[in-house]
Amino acid sequence: MKTIINEADPSVQKDVKIKSRDVNVYYGQNHAIKHLDIDIQANTVTAFIGPSGCGKSTFLRCLNRMNDTIDVAKVTGEILLDEKDIYDRDVDPVQLRAKVGMVFQKPNPFPKSIYDNIAYGPRIHGLVSNKSELDEVVESCLKRAALWDEVKDRLESPGTGLSGGQQQRLCIARAIATAPQVLLMDEPCSALDPIATEQIEELIHELRQDYSVVIVTHSMQQAGRVSQKTAFFHLGDLVEVGDTDRIFTSPIEERTQNYVTGRIG
Amino acid sequence: MVDLTALSAKHISAEAAKRARRRNASQTRLKVTGLIAIGLAASALVALLWTVVGNATGTIKEHYVTIDVPVLAEAFSPDGGELDPVTVGRASQAAVRDAMRALFPFAETRKEQRALSDIVSSGSPFELQKVILDNPQLVGSDVEVALVASDIADLYYKGFYGRLEAVPTSTSVRVESSTDSDEASVFLQQNVFREVVDAVKIELQRRADRSREAAQLQDNGVRAFERRLETASTDEQRAEIEVEIASRTTERDRLIGIAEALENQVQTAGTADTLDNRMPSVLLKAGGGWIKLTQIQQQTAQGIILEPMGAGEYAADEWTLLVNETPEVSRKVSDFQTVILEDLKDMQAVSSKFNMRFLSSGDSREPELAGIWGAAVGSFWTMVVTFLLAFPIGSLAAMYLEEFAPKNIITDFVEVNINNLAAVPSIVFGLLGLAVILPTLNVLGNDDFRSTPLIGGTVLALMTLPTIIIASRAAIRAVPPSIRDAALGLGASKLQTSFHHVLPLAMPGILTGTIIGMAQALGETAPLLMIGMVAFIVDIPEGVTDNASVIPVQIFRWSDLPERAFESRTAAAICMLLIFLVIMNALAVFLRKRFERRW
Repeated sequence: MKTIINEADPSVQKDVKIKSRDVNVYYGQNHAIKHLDIDIQANTVTAFIGPSGCGKSTFLRCLNRMNDTIDVAKVTGEILLDEKDIYDRDVDPVQLRAKVGMVFQKPNPFPKSIYDNIAYGPRIHGLVSNKSELDEVVESCLKRAALWDEVKDRLESPGTGLSGGQQQRLCIARAIATAPQVLLMDEPCSALDPIATEQIEELIHELRQDYSVVIVTHSMQQAGRVSQKTAFFHLGDLVEVGDTDRIFTSPIEERTQNYVTGRIG
Repeated sequence: MVDLTALSAKHISAEAAKRARRRNASQTRLKVTGLIAIGLAASALVALLWTVVGNATGTIKEHYVTIDVPVLAEAFSPDGGELDPVTVGRASQAAVRDAMRALFPFAETRKEQRALSDIVSSGSPFELQKVILDNPQLVGSDVEVALVASDIADLYYKGFYGRLEAVPTSTSVRVESSTDSDEASVFLQQNVFREVVDAVKIELQRRADRSREAAQLQDNGVRAFERRLETASTDEQRAEIEVEIASRTTERDRLIGIAEALENQVQTAGTADTLDNRMPSVLLKAGGGWIKLTQIQQQTAQGIILEPMGAGEYAADEWTLLVNETPEVSRKVSDFQTVILEDLKDMQAVSSKFNMRFLSSGDSREPELAGIWGAAVGSFWTMVVTFLLAFPIGSLAAMYLEEFAPKNIITDFVEVNINNLAAVPSIVFGLLGLAVILPTLNVLGNDDFRSTPLIGGTVLALMTLPTIIIASRAAIRAVPPSIRDAALGLGASKLQTSFHHVLPLAMPGILTGTIIGMAQALGETAPLLMIGMVAFIVDIPEGVTDNASVIPVQIFRWSDLPERAFESRTAAAICMLLIFLVIMNALAVFLRKRFERRW
């Protein structure tokens, strides 16, 4: 059994939202995630860092079963969301994804109007009963995503016509419109310029009030800025988890030390 | 270890410059070849359109002969009561025939009367029948009715059988006719036949040459047998060969004799030249009558009276000499019919108008009555059936194979077979339709569906499906996976993702594939021949279960018919097919633009 450093500081201890126990992911012959145990807390931003190909995105995609769409991917172990194994036979991945929203690396708005982009989730999940409620949901989601002021006059124009940063905020607004409990973000800022990145980061700060946010990032500075907890992955292993400050200032594991100081990567 | 800085010096060497020149030269070569290829393709297209449209112009207008037809009460309404369509139809036929005969009383012999009845279409009495049934009060009066000209009359007026050219004359003519025969003699003050005689001499010389060629062939035969005679062994063989030589020599000498006689006639001026039906027709028009010249000699000529005229002297401006360079034997309009057609024109009875009949009627055995509309409507219904079957089945099959089907050996097998089916000759689908689908439909529908758009459309849909599936799969595969991720990430099910996002985005490609397949089906003939859509169908189909033909099959049938007027109708039908195709492609472009979205 490897040692996993999970700090239990009572002052910051919150409810555990997601718990993974002995999770393994195989892509055919490739053992991508090895015996991974982690607790992700509610109303916290957890950052996954690590060099390319270390399995952080793979694990993120396990959390809402997006790996199901890849034929060769195989997941073992258990991932508990609110103490319920999401890989259980009776769990419908479609319903699960409504509870665990996701924002992707590249902004991918639907080639529809801004309004329809946001309204799609509430519509298919029957979250609203009439048009005025839907209008309210769209407005509040766009406001939460700090996009309302920029697009309120052109809700019917295509979402693909926005700038990269705006598109990504639209995707975030779209993700929160389905009223998820957890928001997964897979390098949401890697395709954006510094100003857009800053806006998204502020947004993540805000979102923490209501959601558990898990963010995969390549940028250690970003992890330092937005997250409270940080998990360091290396070659499919979860090396170390802890408060972000501690991971960056006094990591326990040598590999973490090497990574945050830039010696491996 | 390679010294990279030394390598970089090669960028400025003479070899590098040469390499760049070669590279640029090959690029230029490719561009020029491409331009030539495009130019060739474009000129081929222009040539095709030029021929087809040029040929089709013969169908744009049709000719009518307007004459007064006496509508006799005792024939049209024998009992004086309500008009009976059958009686009126029969009476119309007789009335038109009698009116034409009354107009040209000189058509006395049976042959001449048959020639006369070929001037107006056999369908033209229907015009009269329709007029009378619509206006019963006209019975008992003379009705002016425009009768459709027959195909040969129409072609004559359009100039397909040569034109009558007037030979300039400035002399008077004296016509003498015998009382007991058709023959007439013509006497002129000057020799105006020079040009005609020249043409005749050329034709005679040509015949002499042909005769000599034939004689040469016989002579070759004689030589060959003479050689064989030298090697012959028995007397029996010798005798046989000598018989052959003798017969060939006689034939050769006969041909040489003919050639010499002809050459003699060509060389001697002033002899009487006989005009036969392989030579240009020379017609003399004077005093309301026509003479066809059969023999000419400087200032006199012999001829046959086609339309009687008064004998006597005609001043220079009272007669004309007309020549049709096309010999009578190589046109369907005889000189007698030419006279009638010219007379009708002089009577101002001939008019032409836009050929609406071609665009509005069904097929007919008579070229002047045949139209494309029946086939066009048949094509439309067939395409409706094809689209309704092939589009949903094809796009949904593609959707299933791309988005839902597991990737295993069975789906691989299906994929390979779909690709193979796209290459199966279309006649095979026709056989499938004949052997399987038609009997099945007949049993299910308890009716005979042979020759209907329903069965035709079904067969064409089967033929089109592989094309649509392949194109649709490509279009679905081209939808970026990020869109699927986005939808799945929002908690959309696979079905919702496919139909809300993937399908609309793939729609332009699917539609393009569908239209390509439909265009292919629209031009298809072979499978439809198998299931009876090649039948002769006059009625315009009113639905998918009526007997019908389609445009390509109509083209195929018309192109096979001997009447010359069908030539231009075939070309016009091809134009209609092209118009159909252009409309379908325009629709495809329009739909593609409508569904196209950026992502």
